[in-house]
Amino acid sequence: MLTATDVSFSYTRGRRAAQQVLRGVSFAVERGAIVGLLGPNGSGKTTLVRIVAGMLRPDSGRVTLDGLTVSDMARRELARRVAVVPQETYTTFDFSVIDMVLMGRYPHLGPFELERPADLDIARNALRATGTESLESRPFATLSGGEKQRVIIAAALAQASDMLLLDEPTTALDIGYQFEIAALLKRLNTEHGTTMVVSTHDLNLAAALCSRVVLLKAGSVIAEGPTRDTLTAANIGLLYDVDADVHFHARAGHLMVVPLGRTQ
Amino acid sequence: MAGHSNVAAAYRPRRAVRVRLAWTLASFGTLAVLACLLAPLAGSTPIRLSAVFDRSIPYADNIDAQIFWVARLPRVLAAALVGSSLALAGVVFQALLRNPLASPDTLGVSAGASLGAMIAITFNLDFSLLGLTAVPFASFIGSFGALSIVYGLSAARRRGTSTMVLLLGGVTVQALLSAVIAFVQYLADFTQTFRNVRWLMGSLDVASYPPLVAALIPMGIAWLGLATLPRTLDLISVGHDSAAARGVDVDRAERVALVSASLATGAAVALSGPVSFVGLIAPHLVRLIVGSDHRLVLPAAALFGAAFLIGCDLVARTIIAPLELPVGIITAIIGGPVFLWLLFRRS
Amino acid sequence: MAAVPKILNRIAIVAAIVMATTGGSRANLQVRPELPQRIISLVPATTEMLFVMGAGGRIAGVSDYDRFPADVAKLPKVGGLLDPNVERLISLKPDLVIVYDTQTDLKQQLDRARIPMFRYAHRGLADITQTLRALGERIGNKAAADTAASGIEAQLDAVRARVAGRPKLTTLLVFGRDPGALRHIDASGGIGFLHDVLELAGGTDVLGDLKQQSVDVSTEMVLRRAPQVILELHYGESLTAARVDEERKVWNALPSVPAVKNNQVYLLRGDEFVIPGPRIVIAAERIAQTLHPESFAR
Repeated sequence: MLTATDVSFSYTRGRRAAQQVLRGVSFAVERGAIVGLLGPNGSGKTTLVRIVAGMLRPDSGRVTLDGLTVSDMARRELARRVAVVPQETYTTFDFSVIDMVLMGRYPHLGPFELERPADLDIARNALRATGTESLESRPFATLSGGEKQRVIIAAALAQASDMLLLDEPTTALDIGYQFEIAALLKRLNTEHGTTMVVSTHDLNLAAALCSRVVLLKAGSVIAEGPTRDTLTAANIGLLYDVDADVHFHARAGHLMVVPLGRTQ
Repeated sequence: MAGHSNVAAAYRPRRAVRVRLAWTLASFGTLAVLACLLAPLAGSTPIRLSAVFDRSIPYADNIDAQIFWVARLPRVLAAALVGSSLALAGVVFQALLRNPLASPDTLGVSAGASLGAMIAITFNLDFSLLGLTAVPFASFIGSFGALSIVYGLSAARRRGTSTMVLLLGGVTVQALLSAVIAFVQYLADFTQTFRNVRWLMGSLDVASYPPLVAALIPMGIAWLGLATLPRTLDLISVGHDSAAARGVDVDRAERVALVSASLATGAAVALSGPVSFVGLIAPHLVRLIVGSDHRLVLPAAALFGAAFLIGCDLVARTIIAPLELPVGIITAIIGGPVFLWLLFRRS
Repeated sequence: MAAVPKILNRIAIVAAIVMATTGGSRANLQVRPELPQRIISLVPATTEMLFVMGAGGRIAGVSDYDRFPADVAKLPKVGGLLDPNVERLISLKPDLVIVYDTQTDLKQQLDRARIPMFRYAHRGLADITQTLRALGERIGNKAAADTAASGIEAQLDAVRARVAGRPKLTTLLVFGRDPGALRHIDASGGIGFLHDVLELAGGTDVLGDLKQQSVDVSTEMVLRRAPQVILELHYGESLTAARVDEERKVWNALPSVPAVKNNQVYLLRGDEFVIPGPRIVIAAERIAQTLHPESFAR
């Protein structure tokens, strides 16, 4: 469904030397899969997410979605296919939960169009899918961290049921909510077949959620493949300079990473 | 969290936005229309509507008609235009800067307008162009100049730091222009200083229609520019990146919003001088009633702002009759405490 | 030291303490003031008064806004009401500075520099001659000042006499407004030297009951008060001859006002209208002539 081919990008600041952030990054995401994007700070993860979301144009290489080049697509068209779930959401004004989810319908409406009953149904379905339908009338600002993220995921579902791009979805949450979101994403993928690309620091989230992982370091892909084969102690050491123990945890039902210390 | 019980009540299972929009336009529209119709009939001098429209009295002798057509109606219309423009601009700036304390004055457009007026007064400029005399014309040019500087700063900004650059740039322009205003006032003689100070207090007594028509041009352009933006402002206020990810051309939307709100502000300040608080509190009061959806807030604020300023002007010209207060004093007396109350409500 | 009687010692100490505590105003310590020879006048009105009492040669500096008589062009300028140039002022080594009563900062600075001051306050018509006399006494030209003051009073009385018996015309005395428009109209409200001149010259201030030095006038007020005459006062270069007719026509937006209907809108130009000094006589005569031309036909 999503293919990145040899994507390179550098930030240029005036006449100073360009900062090469991505070098020839390639990976693929199949429909219905959950792919994890892992890498330390400065690895280019965020830039890659922004390129996939169409906010940045790669200097070379391309990203295609169902065969169509992302950077050539109209913004609204891309938004109808890919929805982004950011790490945190701050609202300046008092919007209710249903308001926030309805904003996800924006790419499906014209400039003067108001939401129709069908849009409201889609929004409510999205709330139901994320277990937040009882919060519909609550002001968004009064929700807990976990509830907020679930609502934002609902908004993303209302926007584009095809594919979700999640940028550090659990980083700002406490451990309880981390599990809640992880379970939700798993359920959405299982029940609705929603394709997901999850950029994260949380190795265990990746282990629990993702069928494939892409490991990014200093702008290059150092490893890519099924989680079981790619999320190894050796690769983690390469990626984070961290010594870790990786083994299958019977009760959890997936790989668990136990970090032990820095390698040097 | 006591305040939230009020907020929760406002968010009962929601009627569709089209229904709420219809109600909002109907109710605020009625308020504004009533204000426009009734205000010219009220004032410190009693006039009779029958006399105003009495054709048998020649216009030149008809005091009631002259009070209505020259002294009051242009004044009420000016209040409507200025009030709605400032309220609209307030909503837009608060959304753009993602700051509920932003107002039309924040980015320096009013300061530019004031500078233009001060220059016209201090240097005794005297000309007539497009139906405007020197002071309002120079004032509008000043606001346009300030807008150009702020626009240039925002267009040169880097991606991802836009709101901060816009805010800092605008605040800097405002501070700079205030310094230049102080310098121009320094050059003024006693009488010019007096006139400068009076201009800064704001006056809606335009006494003729050409300035209203002239003001309608930039205001009309502003309204057109803002017409497609309400929903976009909702999305932008939640975050630039999330708005972009939903299909918003954030840069373009922000530029159109900035220029439109600044044109409206510049035209308003050029017409009447600076009027405080309208652009700051009208958005908040309206949000208390209709919620935060900009598709409702923008038209409601425009209509409310018009009615509000018409009301304030009515008070200003009747409360200490036969003298009149500058309308800015009434908006401050009402606006100040209301704003404090809004602040306390939030915390 | 023991030879000095203790009582003298104590007297000396007490005297020193007394001198120190009353040392605030140098003027109080002067037992025989020298007649000031280097006078700085920050007030154009007092500049003209000095000239009229023959003390023009003793002026060392004037304000930026002084324009009369022509001799002031050669004198150093030291700022004005809002922005006196204190350094320049002190560098001219004045022995008397005429300041506005409201210039508190300046007064403090002059006190510290121990420079004597004459405080000028801006009030009614009668205060003009009163100030003239007080200033004359202060600088030692009492006789000349009294003569000049009496002359002014006599001329003013003459104007009053000339229009006595004529019906008093209700007048809107406009100090300023936006050029080309009926906006920000500022007019006399019953207090001040120009109001007094108007009354003397055979007019009645149409806003006189408001008892304000100046009033922000709205068009509704003008229509309601319906003055018989509208007098606009312009000073300096604020109104060119070519524009007088056009500016007069601006009032045609209010045709029901008797002044407009009967073509009694006048624009008077001259500095004598803004300076409460000796030339106020000219102002009085011109206003009287405008209001009651029949009294001056000869």
